[in-house]
Amino acid sequence: MTADALSSVCNLGVLDSLSEASVSEILESWNSFCLITEAIVKGDDSGLSSSYSKFQSYVSSLCKYGLRSLVEEHFLISLQDMLEKHVAPKFWKNFDAYSNVTDLEENDKDMQEDEVELLLCKALEEISLEKQYQEKYLLMLVKSLQLCKDSTSMEGHPSDVEKFFFSKYQLIVSSVLMTTLPRQFPEVLHRYFKGRLEELSTIMAGNYEDNELQDGNDMELYGKGKHATRFGNMDIDGSYDQKKILENKLVRNIGMVVHNLRSLGFTSMTEDAYASAIFLLLKAKVYDLAGDDYRSSVLESIKEWIQAVPLQFLHALLDYLGDSISYLSPSSMKSPLASSPSSCYPGASKPSEGIIRWQLRLEYFAYETLQDLRIAKLFEIIVDYPDSAPAIEDLKQCLEYTGQHSKLVDSFISALQYRLLTAGASTNDILHQYVSTIKALRTIDPAGVFLEAVGEPIREYLRGRKDTIKCIVTMLTDGSGGNNNGPGNSGDSLLEELNRDEENQENAGLDDDINTDDKQAWIDVQRWEPDPVEADPLKGSRYRRKVDVLGMIVGIIGSKDQLVNEYRVMLAEKLLNKTDYDIDTEIRTLELLKIHFGENSMQKCEIMLNDLIDSKRTNTNVKATINQLSQTGSESREREVSFDIIDTTIISSNFWPPIQDEVVNIPEPVDQLLSDYAKRYHEIKTPRKLLWKKNLGTVKLELEFEDRTLQFTVTPVHASIIMQFQDQTSWTSKNLAAAIGMPEDTLQRRISFWISKGIIAESSGEDSNDHLYKLVDSMADGGKTGINNEELVADDDAERSVASVEDQLRKEMTVYEKFIVGMLKNFGSMALDRIHNTLKMFCVSDPTYDKSLQQLQFFLSGLVAEEKLELRDNMYFLKK
Amino acid sequence: MERVEFQKLEFISEVFTSGFICLWHAVASWTWDAHDETCGICRMAFDGCCPDCKLPGDDCPLIWGACNHAFHLHCILKWVNSQTPQAHCPMCRREWQFKE
Ligand SMILES: [Zn+2]
Ligand SMILES: [Zn+2]
Ligand SMILES: [Zn+2]
Repeated sequence: MTADALSSVCNLGVLDSLSEASVSEILESWNSFCLITEAIVKGDDSGLSSSYSKFQSYVSSLCKYGLRSLVEEHFLISLQDMLEKHVAPKFWKNFDAYSNVTDLEENDKDMQEDEVELLLCKALEEISLEKQYQEKYLLMLVKSLQLCKDSTSMEGHPSDVEKFFFSKYQLIVSSVLMTTLPRQFPEVLHRYFKGRLEELSTIMAGNYEDNELQDGNDMELYGKGKHATRFGNMDIDGSYDQKKILENKLVRNIGMVVHNLRSLGFTSMTEDAYASAIFLLLKAKVYDLAGDDYRSSVLESIKEWIQAVPLQFLHALLDYLGDSISYLSPSSMKSPLASSPSSCYPGASKPSEGIIRWQLRLEYFAYETLQDLRIAKLFEIIVDYPDSAPAIEDLKQCLEYTGQHSKLVDSFISALQYRLLTAGASTNDILHQYVSTIKALRTIDPAGVFLEAVGEPIREYLRGRKDTIKCIVTMLTDGSGGNNNGPGNSGDSLLEELNRDEENQENAGLDDDINTDDKQAWIDVQRWEPDPVEADPLKGSRYRRKVDVLGMIVGIIGSKDQLVNEYRVMLAEKLLNKTDYDIDTEIRTLELLKIHFGENSMQKCEIMLNDLIDSKRTNTNVKATINQLSQTGSESREREVSFDIIDTTIISSNFWPPIQDEVVNIPEPVDQLLSDYAKRYHEIKTPRKLLWKKNLGTVKLELEFEDRTLQFTVTPVHASIIMQFQDQTSWTSKNLAAAIGMPEDTLQRRISFWISKGIIAESSGEDSNDHLYKLVDSMADGGKTGINNEELVADDDAERSVASVEDQLRKEMTVYEKFIVGMLKNFGSMALDRIHNTLKMFCVSDPTYDKSLQQLQFFLSGLVAEEKLELRDNMYFLKK
Repeated sequence: MERVEFQKLEFISEVFTSGFICLWHAVASWTWDAHDETCGICRMAFDGCCPDCKLPGDDCPLIWGACNHAFHLHCILKWVNSQTPQAHCPMCRREWQFKE
C-alpha cells in the first residue's frame, strides 16, 4: 500500500532533478520528523511544545518536496504501531482475570460485578486518555499540514481534512482493538450493564415505595402509573430530588462508559451488551412480579416497570449521548439508537423513534415471557379458577399480542396427559378440571377453536371411565352442600351456576318474568343440539353461552338421553330414601333440567316428583280418616304402634326406573299397620290399590340402653333385623334369615351394619356354616365391639345412618392429616379452599384426594376440636 | 349433639333394652285393580296414562263398561263420541254402557 501510495502521488522523475542541498534537506527533515514522531508516540512529549514550530517546518519542507502522503502514512502507522504494541495489550490486560468466566459463577457474582465496574471504568479512562493524547498530536499534524502551501492534493475545506484524518484514525483504533479483542470482553460488558441496571432498578424501586407512602395506600397501581409519568417532570420534592440526583449520577456514569466504548468503536457490541442486560433484567422482573400468584393481574405493573426503569434508562442515556455523539462518531457507525440526539432536556421532548422501538421490543418480550410463564403453569391456574381469573386475563392479552396460541394448546395438552388423565385422578376431579378449563379458556378463546383441541383428550379419556355419566349428573344437579343460601353459594350445582351466570348477564334488562324467561329458554331448547359446531352466531350471546359449557359436557357422552336416564336413577334413589316429602331442591333442579334438556325429556322425572306431592296429600288423607276409624272402632286389639309413625310414598311405578324387589318380613305390628293403610287407601281411591315395596323406604329407630337412647336412620331391612332381637337376644343366622324372610348371605351382609355399631356380636355356632348373632352384653362381649368397616363398605346401601358416614369420612381423611400439617408448617396459615386445592394438586395418587370442600371442612373442624389446629379469620393455623 | 353420641357407639357395652320405631316411611306403588294390563284402545299401560295426558292416576282414570272391560276414560270417551249414534265396546262389541 505504501508503495502504491507513493507512486501515485510522487513522480519518481522528480528525484533526478533534486540538488544535493535538497536531498540533504529532505533527509534531515525526514529524520527529524521521524524522531519527533517517535517521541510523541512513545509519550515522551516533554518540551515538545517548544519544538512544535520545528515539527511544523519539517512537515512543510517535506510537503514542499511532494512527500506529504509519506508524512501522513508514517505518522498514522506510528500511531497504529503504538496502539498495537502497547495501548491495546495494556487495555486488554485489565480483563485477563476474566479470561475463563464464560459461565457466570452464581456464588460470587455480586462481588465480581462491583469489580467489573471499577475495572472497566478505569481501563476505559486510561485508554481514552491515551487516545486523547494521540488525537492531540494528530491534530497537531493536521494543523501543520494545513499550513503547507502545497495542499492541492487535499482539496476541500480545512474541516474536511480534519474529519478525514480523524475518521481514518478512528478506523485504526477500532480495527486494532477489534482484531485483538479477547473472547471474554462482551461478557464483561454484559456484566457491567447488568450490575448498573440492577442498581438503577433498586433506586427506582425506592422511588416506588416513597411514592406510595406519599399517596397514601389507596390505589397502588394508580400511584405507580402517576409516578411513571411524573418521572420526567422533575418534581421538586426533597427525597424525590435526592433519588433523582442519585439516578442522574448513575446514568451519567453509565453514559460515560458508553461514550468511551463508542469512541473506541464498540458501538454495536455495547448496544448488544446493554440490550441483553435489559432483557435479562426484564425477564427477572417479570418472573418476580408474576410468581405463583394467579389472583392478581401483573401485566400493568410490568408495563409500568418498563416505563419506569429500562425506558427511563435508555431515555436518559440517549439524552446524555445525544449532543456528543453527532460529531464524535462517524455517521456510518451510528446505531438506530444514536439517531435521536433530540433535546437535552429530559422529559421535555417527545419520545424518539428509537425509544418507541425499544418500548415495543421490551413489551413484546415481556408479553412473551409472561405468556410462557403462565402457559407452563396453566394447569395450576385452571385448578385455581375462577380465583385465578386475573392470570387468565393477563394470558389472554399476552396471546393477543404474540399470537402464539398453539404454544398454549401443545403445552396444556401435555400437562393434562401427565397430571390429570391418569389412573390416580378421580373422575370428579377430571370433570371439574374440564369445566374449569372450558370456563377459563372461553375468555381467551371465545371462538372455542383451541378449546376444542384441548378438550378432546379429556373427553376421550372420560369416555373410557365407567362412572363418568354418574359424576356428570352429580356435578350438574348436586350442589354437594345441598343448601340454597342464595346466589354465589359454592354449594350450588353447575346447572344453578350456569343459570345464574346467564341471569347476571341479562340483569340490565327489565324485571324478568320467570315464565316468559322459561318459555324463551324452552324455545331455545327446541333448537338445541348436543354439538353445535357452527350454530349461527347471530342467535345472541345468551343462547350461545349456555350451549357452550353444557354442550361441551354433554359432548363427553354424546347424547343427553343417557344423562337424563342417569339423573332419573339418581333422583329415584334420592326420593325413595327421603324421610319426609320435602322436594324443593329437586323441583328446582328439574326446572333447570327442563330448560336445558326440554320438557319432554324430563317427563318421567316430573311424574316422579308429582308422585311425592300426591303421596304427601294422600298420606295425610289416609291417616286422618284411619285414625278416626280406630278411635270409633274396636279397642280390642292392643296397638303397640299407632298410625302416627307411618308415612308412605306412593309411586307410579311405570314411570320410575326398575325397582329392586326384595322380600322382607317386617315387624308384625308394622306389617299390620301397612295392610290397614292399604285397605284405607283402596277405600278412598277405588279402584286403585297399593302394592307394598316393603324393602324400600327409611326407618327412624330409637334404641334404648341402660343409661342412654340412640337414634338411627336405617333401611326397613336393618330395622327388621334389629327388632327381632327385642324378644330374643340371640339368633343363629339360619333362624334369623328365616324369620326375616331373606337368604342367609343377604342377611349376613345386612347385619354387618349392626355389628359395626357394636350392638350385635357375631360368633360361629356349633355348625360351622351357621353364625350366631347376639346382642352385645356388657360383661361377656365387651371386647368384640370393634368396628368392621370393610363389610360396611361392601354393603352398598347399608350406611345411611349419619354416624357411619361421618365416622367413615374421619377414617378416610386421617391419611391427609400429615399433608395438612406439613402445608401449614410451610405456609403458616391457609384458607379452607387453598388447603383443598393444594391437596387436590398434590394427592393425585396414593392416596388420591377426592373429598369435597365440605368433607374437608368437617375434618378440619375435627382437628380444631382436637386442638391440633386453630381457626382464625377463616384461616387455619397450626396450634402452637 | 347427635354426633357425639354416635361416636361413643364404638365403646358401647350395655345391653340395649328395647327399641322404638319413631318413623316408618314406607314405599308402595299404586295400580288400577283391573284384569288387563293395557288399554284396548290406546295400547298403553293402564298404570301409565292415555296419549293425551301427562300425569297418570287421578288425572287419567280408568272406567269400566257394563261388560266389565276397562279403558282409559279419555280413550273410551273419544271412542264413544266417534261412534254415533250407538257405540260398542271395542273389545267385545257389546253395546257400550258405563258400569254403574
Ligand atoms: Zn287408553
Ligand atoms: Zn288421559
Ligand atoms: Zn266389553
